[in-house]
Amino acid sequence: MSEAKLDRLRAQAAELGAVDENFIRLLSQVPGYTEALFDSLTRSHVDGDVDHKLKEIIRIGLARQAGDPYFGTLRSKPAAAAGLTEDMIEAGCGDFENDDRFSAREKWALRYARLMYTEPKTVNKAFYDEGKSHYSEAEIMELGTFIAFHYGMQLFTRAIGLKVAPG
Amino acid sequence: MTEDQIDDGIDHYETSEKISEADRVALRYSDMMANAPDKIGSTIYAELSEHYADAEIVELGAFIGFNIGYHTFFGSLDFYPMFTPDGRLVSQDESRHIYGDTPVSHLDGAMERSQAPDEAAE
Repeated sequence: MSEAKLDRLRAQAAELGAVDENFIRLLSQVPGYTEALFDSLTRSHVDGDVDHKLKEIIRIGLARQAGDPYFGTLRSKPAAAAGLTEDMIEAGCGDFENDDRFSAREKWALRYARLMYTEPKTVNKAFYDEGKSHYSEAEIMELGTFIAFHYGMQLFTRAIGLKVAPG
Repeated sequence: MTEDQIDDGIDHYETSEKISEADRVALRYSDMMANAPDKIGSTIYAELSEHYADAEIVELGAFIGFNIGYHTFFGSLDFYPMFTPDGRLVSQDESRHIYGDTPVSHLDGAMERSQAPDEAAE
């Protein structure tokens, strides 16, 4: 991959904040993967119709489930700019079911992410039927692919022992 | 690559004589990422380094992580392959009958079930 392309990814990463130089450097060892994985990771997080702040809480909660300090440490700058606080992140990663600050719709999404890899058998037709009362099918697919992709990458960065770049 | 090799690589990769040492270490890495991430450390990376370049290890790790993430999600959607093991386009109901509710070996009846569509429709 050319230095110009890597610089573009670095600039995007700096703007988002949820991926840093070390992840790009790691991916750049596999040039065929670098751009595709980076784009998938960032687009699934920032684009789409589901609230970015909610996705940010989900992303951090999944990183904790995966035991991955890398993605669990980084924070989305757009989510922070939109008003997401550490207090809300902690609430969303904790006892969100009994927290009035989250709507029923948000609770379903948080439950979806939490159950996917802890109790996958409970993510069944009844669960999806409930989800359809809150989200369109397209939004559910957006959430599901977001959860799957980010959790998979978090397992990878945990396994490889990736650390956040200093500074 | 045969179905027999796939089964052996999944179920008996540590002892199989049908796969190479490089394959065995990669399969061990995949197994550990899925089932024992706490055990991943310098030992497995040293073993991997005997057979793979650093770039290939990164490629393997990203591929494995991506697959673990997606297979659980796909499983929750309760959908089935569009094609039988021998390539025939089938309905979701027929595919469910062929492949079952949990992942199975193609050698363990799926091929035979795919060749008996009339029975599947009953």
